[in-house]
Amino acid sequence: MNPFWSMSTGSVRKRSDTEEKTLSGELRTSPLRASAKKQLPSIPKNAVPITKPASPATSSQSTNGTHASYGPFYLEYSLLAEFTLVVKQKLPGVYVQPSYRSALMWFGVIFIRNGLYQDGVFKFTVYIPDNYPDGDCPRLVFDLPVFHPLVDPLSGELDVKRAFAKWRRNHNHIWQVLMYARRVFYKIDTTSPLNPEAAVLYEKDVQLFKSKVVDSVKLCSSHLFDQPKIEDPYAIIFSPWNPAIHDEAREKMLTQKKKPEDQHSKSMHVSGLSWVKPGSVQPFSKEDKTMPT
Amino acid sequence: MERMSWLSKLTPRAGGQRAPRSASLQPPVTADPETCLMVFKNHWAQVLQILERRGSKPAPDDLSAVRNNTYQMLNLLAEDRPWGDGDRDKSQGDGDVACGPILEFVAAENLLERLLCWHLQGDFTEERKVEQLKLYEMLISQARQPLLRHKPVLTPLLRLLSVCAEPASAPLENSLVLLLNQLCVSVAREPAILELFFHSHTDQGPANLIIFSLLIPFIHHEGARGQQARDALLLIMAMSASNRAVAQSITDNSYFCPVLATGLSALYSSLPRKIEVRGDDWHFLRREDWIGVSSLVLFMNSLEFCNAVIQVAHPLVQKQLVDYVHNGFLVPVMGPALHKTSVEEMIASTAYLDLFLRSVSETALLKTFLRFVLLHRHDNTTILDTLVGRINSNSRLCMVSLSLFRTLLSLNCEDVMLQLVLRYLLPCSHVMLSQKRAVRDLDIYGKTAAKFLSLIPRCCRPESPPPPRDRDEEPPSRARGHGSPGADAPPAPKPSTPSRLSFFMRQASAAPAEAAAPRSPGPPAGSPSRPGPRDEVAELDRNYLEYLRDARHSIDRCAWACRVWSAPYDGEDPRAPSPTPDPDSPPGRPPGPPTPRTKKRGLPEEGAREVPGGPLGGDEPSAGGPGPEPRDGGTLMNGAHGAAEPGRPEGDVVVKKVRRSPQGEGEGGGGAPNGAPRAQPPGWEPLPSVDSLLEELLARVPAEPPGTGVSIETFTEELREIEAEMQNGGVGGAPASPAEPPEPPLSHEEEEAFASFTALPEGDTGTGRAPPRPPDPLAQVVASPPRAVGPPPSQPFTGPFVSVLFGKLENMPHNSLYVNFLLTGLVAQLACYPQPLLRSFLLNTNMVFQPSVKSLLQVLGSVKNKIESFAASQEDFPALLFKAKKYLIARGRLDWAEGPGAVPALRRPDTLARSRKPSLGELLLRHANSPTRARHAAQLALQGLRDGGLRDGGLHPLGPPARHGEALRVRNAVYCAVIFSEFLKELAAIAQAHAVTSPFLTE
Repeated sequence: MNPFWSMSTGSVRKRSDTEEKTLSGELRTSPLRASAKKQLPSIPKNAVPITKPASPATSSQSTNGTHASYGPFYLEYSLLAEFTLVVKQKLPGVYVQPSYRSALMWFGVIFIRNGLYQDGVFKFTVYIPDNYPDGDCPRLVFDLPVFHPLVDPLSGELDVKRAFAKWRRNHNHIWQVLMYARRVFYKIDTTSPLNPEAAVLYEKDVQLFKSKVVDSVKLCSSHLFDQPKIEDPYAIIFSPWNPAIHDEAREKMLTQKKKPEDQHSKSMHVSGLSWVKPGSVQPFSKEDKTMPT
Repeated sequence: MERMSWLSKLTPRAGGQRAPRSASLQPPVTADPETCLMVFKNHWAQVLQILERRGSKPAPDDLSAVRNNTYQMLNLLAEDRPWGDGDRDKSQGDGDVACGPILEFVAAENLLERLLCWHLQGDFTEERKVEQLKLYEMLISQARQPLLRHKPVLTPLLRLLSVCAEPASAPLENSLVLLLNQLCVSVAREPAILELFFHSHTDQGPANLIIFSLLIPFIHHEGARGQQARDALLLIMAMSASNRAVAQSITDNSYFCPVLATGLSALYSSLPRKIEVRGDDWHFLRREDWIGVSSLVLFMNSLEFCNAVIQVAHPLVQKQLVDYVHNGFLVPVMGPALHKTSVEEMIASTAYLDLFLRSVSETALLKTFLRFVLLHRHDNTTILDTLVGRINSNSRLCMVSLSLFRTLLSLNCEDVMLQLVLRYLLPCSHVMLSQKRAVRDLDIYGKTAAKFLSLIPRCCRPESPPPPRDRDEEPPSRARGHGSPGADAPPAPKPSTPSRLSFFMRQASAAPAEAAAPRSPGPPAGSPSRPGPRDEVAELDRNYLEYLRDARHSIDRCAWACRVWSAPYDGEDPRAPSPTPDPDSPPGRPPGPPTPRTKKRGLPEEGAREVPGGPLGGDEPSAGGPGPEPRDGGTLMNGAHGAAEPGRPEGDVVVKKVRRSPQGEGEGGGGAPNGAPRAQPPGWEPLPSVDSLLEELLARVPAEPPGTGVSIETFTEELREIEAEMQNGGVGGAPASPAEPPEPPLSHEEEEAFASFTALPEGDTGTGRAPPRPPDPLAQVVASPPRAVGPPPSQPFTGPFVSVLFGKLENMPHNSLYVNFLLTGLVAQLACYPQPLLRSFLLNTNMVFQPSVKSLLQVLGSVKNKIESFAASQEDFPALLFKAKKYLIARGRLDWAEGPGAVPALRRPDTLARSRKPSLGELLLRHANSPTRARHAAQLALQGLRDGGLRDGGLHPLGPPARHGEALRVRNAVYCAVIFSEFLKELAAIAQAHAVTSPFLTE
């Protein structure tokens, strides 16, 4: 592990408490809502990336050169930017959250809403190489080995490499890995499988394959409430529906959805000004609306 | 934060007035009603005896008898209650269901009317009027039942008011305003009464909201009287919001809006023309600066009142007022003021404009100011272009202008940004065609940041060791952080924090609890736990995280604010307008950017205005032109401008101009607006009145000899004269020109001075300069519309603003420290805007621009080279640099120390703020030579450094102001080296923060 990341945790700790609460509160509501027909809100709103990643102490280590001292900021910000891109993508049913301890490790969960793997809820972890973006492609490992041709039956690792043989900076992004992870459950590929059994069954005996999948989905669901595999304050935790905790959180999410304006209004009651008519590039081209009395 | 909030102040004041008086005038505690009535009748009988003694003049005895009896009677009347007190609540509900026995009696006898008649017959002296006013005021304020709804009370009251309308002594005016204020409070409590005011006639004509027109002359008065009048008016304004008839009456039949707006002009003319400060860092008016200048306070009061009116009034009123502010204040007064020939006056007017922009909180009013700045053409140049050009100056004018732009940028206003920058970037002609798609690219790997950081001059890198000898160190602090609005305690949406002490404490927010607080300003030198110089330098180099934090904050805030914009400006939306050749356009104009139309008359570029022809015809006087057209033919009753009042007696209310429309009666009852313009009633007098009134006023305003100003009293006088003239049918006097008298030719010195500091930066000087222009050297030099500094038509141009900023940036080593502070702050502010067009232009270092377009990176690169070659030529550069950092750190810390306390102090009562330190206000008045705060601060902080040498280097902050150019040059260059390095970190941080802006902010 890059020492930088482990060092940074200290400075973040203060903030993590509050963040953690809201975060897990929202995520815990997920299982129930997943079974409902409604679409999930894309990404928990509070799951913004860590904003104060590095402690000032880190840069003092590298006073021997201006450039060297800024290096960690570039990596951190690149990952924040990647995360921002993920958020922008709004991949249906895919949620990720960078770990508390390292920005190079992201926790995630994927909800499969139809197809062979319908009702599957698979937790996973993304590992990003520390020479990102110049290294290999990130690895994606499911907590439990899902029965799938491209998932290693022992380690649970998804074969990401086949899609990103060479990781190209500027061109490849982590959201693509997540999108790929979702896609494999809808479009099944059996060539050079990591799980040959699954591949063969899919080709030869779809019925059996299906029932194995159902078993696998059930297995995953039965372990849903387990403690997370990796101890981390930002690990994704599921818990049974508890109205005392979850009802309120759910209500909050629903109302937030209706009035997205309110979310930030507390922190930023700033509004810009515009009198430009949409499509025009002339100032003050907008019709003067009569002010409400 | 000096947002204007009038209403909050208002309520307690209006309510509070009653308390003391009712306490002092404690009437006899309720006897039983029967008895009271008996007593009352008794008094009346005595009065009646006197009243009925006709013919002979009343004896002095009579007068005092009447006075005494009346006093008793009115006290009883005030105490009177409706029968069956329990039903009171009901009876207040509607109509005149119940009234008390005395009131009944008063009505039956028409007692008050008869009393007043008697007074009027005799010698109704001022003293007696005051007496009457006071009586009524007491009656209204203390009555136990609603009185005003009863004609027998209302009619004599109105009649009394109209009698008191003539110019009068202060005591009379005081009583009058107090009574009017009381009436407004009553009306505000019971809006239904308002109708009655409309419908009542005195025998002297319609009483059409006489309260209102009586109050108007007091709008701009200072002191309690003015305040009461404004409060009262504001109550009416608030009522107008829900009552269109009232609103219409205000706009059509009163002078309220013109008086208010042109009053600003009068008040403006008495502001100091010169702002004399010695400190070389002064660049904008803070509250504590102006609170001590009475003329400025007076102006700000009125501006604040305008703001409040717009906040509460009906849209009709709002609209009219805003138009008048534009046409009656901004265009005729502010415009010329900004174009005064002397640099001092330019500085003052620019600082004033900045202050106004920061103070106005109502969007509608702000819009008018911005429209004026962006679109109004004075001498064929928009105000905006003029102001942009002044950034090029070397003087304080540059700093004041930079401050103004800081204010403008902090509004996050699309229109402003469009005019300043975006319209030049829209055609994307500044980038290579192949790059066009890259406009939206985000640099997620920090390439740009790395580029910027690599520009930190070698000589400023941390490796270069600081002078080892200097052991007398201070605890380190952030030398220079970030001037983001976040510097102020609460996040301020607009630059409403003139308090920004943060100017020299651009690091305010860079001193978060964990970093700076522990070592808050200790003893400047010799503190025990002081780290060595090496640590200090390291500290300076370690503040990148703070820049990141600030950048994140600023960008988030900006992105959030820009959600209201009409388009993302991402290179595709909006599309650049197709470059239609404009016949007006001189050949030097670059293609692409929208061509401002050059109109000869009226408000230029106002084609898109909702209102073809506002109340005024624009900035040129339309002599005797049509009056205010109903602005919205479909909904306005144009009849409202109707005939002149019949038989107005001489000496009637002066500023009352209450014309009654023939349909007046119908209006109050909500007469349906008439679609088609009504036939003009015979005798319809075109209403040039308001216009010409305005013109008259304006003609006089600037004509005042400098310094004297127009006292508000004179102003009111004039108002009256003009009113009188109009009564006599039409405007007397020559067609007034609101414009300035022809400006005197520039003095030779001034011309030279101007030429020297408006010299264009290298890079812009080459081609296509100024086509032949009118032989006004000022216009030629200052004007900087595209055509003035624009390249040949074929070449892309990123606009005058960018080109001036870049030019100034390139010149950084020669700029003063303070200019560089402001300048870099402004560029950083610009860089925080999230629009891809702007972001890519400033921050995408991969972008390939057209050869003629200079990029920020290039500019910074050349600064870097200049600094490096300077450092190479200056043997003791490291030592100088070290000193400079020390100075800036000390100064920053001092400001920071003041910061937390000072910012809230502004919101405390002014006295407190004033007592804190010598303010500019005092400086203005005393013309004192006292050092500015910052200097003083530095003095304290650097006491210990004083003996540290370097006197010869000229860098010593406290040394005598560098007299010879060389010392100044060195000093500027060394400071620049520090600022420049910090600026690069700031830009790098901003570049990085753009990549992680939350999509929730922009969606």
